[in-house]
Amino acid sequence: MKKNFPLYLGKAGHLSVMSEFLIRGWNVAIPEVDIGDDIFVVQDDNGTLRRVQVKTSTSTAHQNSFSGQFNVPIKQLRDYKVNFPVYYVFIVRHQDGWTKPIIIRQDYLRDHFENEEMGSQHEGNLNLYFSFEEGKVECSHTNLSKYIGDFTDFPLIED
Amino acid sequence: METIKINVNKQMDGYSFSVTPSVRKLIKSLSPNSHPANGIFVAYDTKSDFEHYVGKLENYIYPALLGIDNQDELKKAVNKVLFIDTQTGKVLAELNP
Repeated sequence: MKKNFPLYLGKAGHLSVMSEFLIRGWNVAIPEVDIGDDIFVVQDDNGTLRRVQVKTSTSTAHQNSFSGQFNVPIKQLRDYKVNFPVYYVFIVRHQDGWTKPIIIRQDYLRDHFENEEMGSQHEGNLNLYFSFEEGKVECSHTNLSKYIGDFTDFPLIED
Repeated sequence: METIKINVNKQMDGYSFSVTPSVRKLIKSLSPNSHPANGIFVAYDTKSDFEHYVGKLENYIYPALLGIDNQDELKKAVNKVLFIDTQTGKVLAELNP
């Protein structure tokens, strides 16, 4: 594996997710200074701006499934701005391709963590272990399948 | 009767009140005619004087946030409302509808 592979994986994930937003008609930008928001996604016509945090993982193969692991800083998760929420986009590199993005808005992810005990805490991070099997995704027995490719808040922009 | 937690987040230009999706679901189940909102943002005038507002607006915020306009219905569904600072976890205000 290439030296500094996680950096390459992360950037490749960012670019892959950015291309999805672009194809839907949303413009994208990377902040000049990294302060925790990976991507700004903008609807050009009306200035709607969304903050997106991309989380990438390699896959670990199992008999009939595979998994990916992610870390989310709990402080960021709890810093919820009603008018400016963060959208977490989780993708896994599996068998020479990316999984469909799992898009979870900050308040929903926080709810799963605090009320359904999804994931585990370690040194200020929420560790998430996503299990993919037959088109479904689970984390700590919470079914996350409804978030697969859920671009509800990023509708296709057409003239 | 439920205790409802409302998250308060201080920002540079104002502060927001929000409830989690599970609270919205709970309110909807307790009061089917309600229309709970994701959040309410209160903008400051010219400076961040959060403390100036604490204790003054909560009574108006929570009925709007929970989307229950009938006071009797609100009293039936909720017995306590806690306003919690999301940064510190501190309870900023406690109200009994």
